[in-house]
Amino acid sequence: MPPALTRPGLCRVEQIMGTTITLDLADDLPPARLRELADDVFAWMREVDGRFSTYKPDSEVCRFDRGEVLLSEASADLRFVLEACADLWGATDGFFDAYATGRLDPSGFVKGWAAQVASDRLLAAGAANHCVNAGGDVRVRGFSPTGEPWRIGIRHPWDAMATCMVLAGTDLAVATSGVYERGRHVLDPRRGAPAGGLRSVTVVGSDLGVADAYATAALAMGAAGIGWLDRLTDHTHAVVTDDARQFHSTALPLTV
Amino acid sequence: MRRALFAITGLAASTTALVVLKGSPGATQVAQNLPTAQPVNPSGPGVDPSADPAAPAADPTGAAPKPSGTADAPTSPKPTKSSTTRPSGTKTTAKAPTAPKTTTKAPQSTTRRVTGPTVDTAEDYGYVQVQIVVSGNKIIDAVTLSLPSGGESDIHSGDVRNKYNGTGGEVVQKQSANLNTVSGATATSNAYKQSLRAAIEQAF
Repeated sequence: MPPALTRPGLCRVEQIMGTTITLDLADDLPPARLRELADDVFAWMREVDGRFSTYKPDSEVCRFDRGEVLLSEASADLRFVLEACADLWGATDGFFDAYATGRLDPSGFVKGWAAQVASDRLLAAGAANHCVNAGGDVRVRGFSPTGEPWRIGIRHPWDAMATCMVLAGTDLAVATSGVYERGRHVLDPRRGAPAGGLRSVTVVGSDLGVADAYATAALAMGAAGIGWLDRLTDHTHAVVTDDARQFHSTALPLTV
Repeated sequence: MRRALFAITGLAASTTALVVLKGSPGATQVAQNLPTAQPVNPSGPGVDPSADPAAPAADPTGAAPKPSGTADAPTSPKPTKSSTTRPSGTKTTAKAPTAPKTTTKAPQSTTRRVTGPTVDTAEDYGYVQVQIVVSGNKIIDAVTLSLPSGGESDIHSGDVRNKYNGTGGEVVQKQSANLNTVSGATATSNAYKQSLRAAIEQAF
């Protein structure tokens, strides 16, 4: 571990979307440039929050839900998100349902998607080595400030201060959905009841929005979600069941 | 049990109860163990989802034994307090060893079983009850005491075991070293902030 003051890049944490957003830029760029890149990332996250928050009555998503905004009038971002949610509903046999609570709530996709877009923009802007963590959904690219692949811990489902697995990679989207923080908030949309059987689901892929939605869907499926995840060809997974058993893809980028 | 209840009531009623406690030091221990046993139980896997994972006692794998050990510490002042009100000096010394006994007992029993309450998994799935065996700060075994029977859930479990290509079945462990970041369920709670801060501090 290098001394805190000699590492290249910049690390910034802000509270947005009702959660914690952490940005770690590992490129050795001029400080002013790093600050500019970070400003852009957090400005984007605040824009997404303003547009997609289900807690802000004047957000576009709420106005659209009340019929005050027509689909034809909606922003490109909202239309993209609605389309993505519809695709994900199909891809998850209806278990990812932006209307599961009876009203439009695409949060299960939006948080991961927003971080993914932020990461894509950083890459395009020449910051190829970074880590974006949006409330536990992680997108890493390139190498960490120490020049090694990023090391991503998966939170232990019974201990907020511990992790139960460590992943490492240079191009990973890692999303975790669990019942341990906000209770059984994920509903099985087919029964309208809280999902049971799984305590934590982690999905690893290349798009954080999709990974986030898949993790939420598998959690809603309960034990059957393990088999569903197993059949995904382009994603790997790690699951912890309610009885503290751990299941993961053999191809999961685990490290020690 | 009746004795324990009596002791609790007695404690609440303060000085009057000291007479009762004097007669039954064992009951005092039972009563004082209760508060430590109770927070541990809801921590059983798949239990009350609202249980704060940050609370150390509500942690089946974590440092639960230690906090319960320290939680016993406040028990020693109680007998001391009661002994000061008592005229007999011999009983003070007889009492004092009983309280530390609880404190020494906790770290000695490195392996313990914690049983979760029966939990309704969801409608149609039935009830699940799990017991875990904790050694130090690791879960060494998890036993399912009751499982949902019949219906879809059986098919699901069978599916997982027969067709699964991944690695699985081992009890979840703790692991961490030089992390850059942590992936976890979204939280607005302090627990998340603590975890995040810990990860950041560890990383830099």
